[in-house]
Amino acid sequence: MADQVTETRQRIRELLVEMHGPDSFVRTVSDTVSLRQQGLSSAALVSLLVAMEDAFGFEWDDDIQPEVLRSISSLAEHVVALRV
Amino acid sequence: MTAGLGALVTPGTYLEWSPVAPPNGPDEQFVAGRQAAAAALAAAGSVVRSVPRVAGGRPAFPRGYPGSIAHTERVAVAVVVPGAAGVGVDIEDAAVTERMVDFVLYEGERRTLLAPDGRYRPVELFSAKEAAFKALDGMAVGDGVLFWRIKLHRAGDGLIASFGGLSVPVWARYADGLAFALAVRR
Repeated sequence: MADQVTETRQRIRELLVEMHGPDSFVRTVSDTVSLRQQGLSSAALVSLLVAMEDAFGFEWDDDIQPEVLRSISSLAEHVVALRV
Repeated sequence: MTAGLGALVTPGTYLEWSPVAPPNGPDEQFVAGRQAAAAALAAAGSVVRSVPRVAGGRPAFPRGYPGSIAHTERVAVAVVVPGAAGVGVDIEDAAVTERMVDFVLYEGERRTLLAPDGRYRPVELFSAKEAAFKALDGMAVGDGVLFWRIKLHRAGDGLIASFGGLSVPVWARYADGLAFALAVRR
């Protein structure tokens, strides 16, 4: 489970690098910090969520809670929980 | 850009722009946003021109001068509307893909507001939802991250945005590669 979360966090980082480049905020952002507060725009957030659907093979529920979308860690934990 | 906004900027609405300095990162965008806010507050007659961050990263405008800030990597904008109950502004220059449109817009919004039946571009509606969410902030809409849950429908020359029994008028325009949306709750 812990390994799955770590792998998923890494894949989310790769998606962010594909979107924003290796020298962007992604290089220094921690796993637990709010992505929005680190400068991720609303458009970039939606773009990430769409990319995650393709990368991990799921669709976001309409009733997803905002906290799930807060950080790389919360996103990864949600993806892994869907697979359990 | 301001010249293209026409009727959006009515008397009593103070709107100012500020360019983002190189290297156009988050820090420079923040500074440009505060510069635009200071200019808008000055134009509105506020003696307080600073806009600190509060919990959640939201800007705290001086009492009596509600406002909002938005930025891209190139430019920041701030709007102050004295006497309003809530203000939300958003600007977008990002490409909004078809998948993003499906994610953010309800089926009815796509059918009635986008061409050919509607007159809006996807990026304008994207901005309209974000601006409305900011204007409704503090009114039980929760964390701003789920702005796409706002529902839009046509109302005269503009839009009405609604969420959880609350509503706010929104105006959205597109010019020079930039979508601009303004929501003012009275």
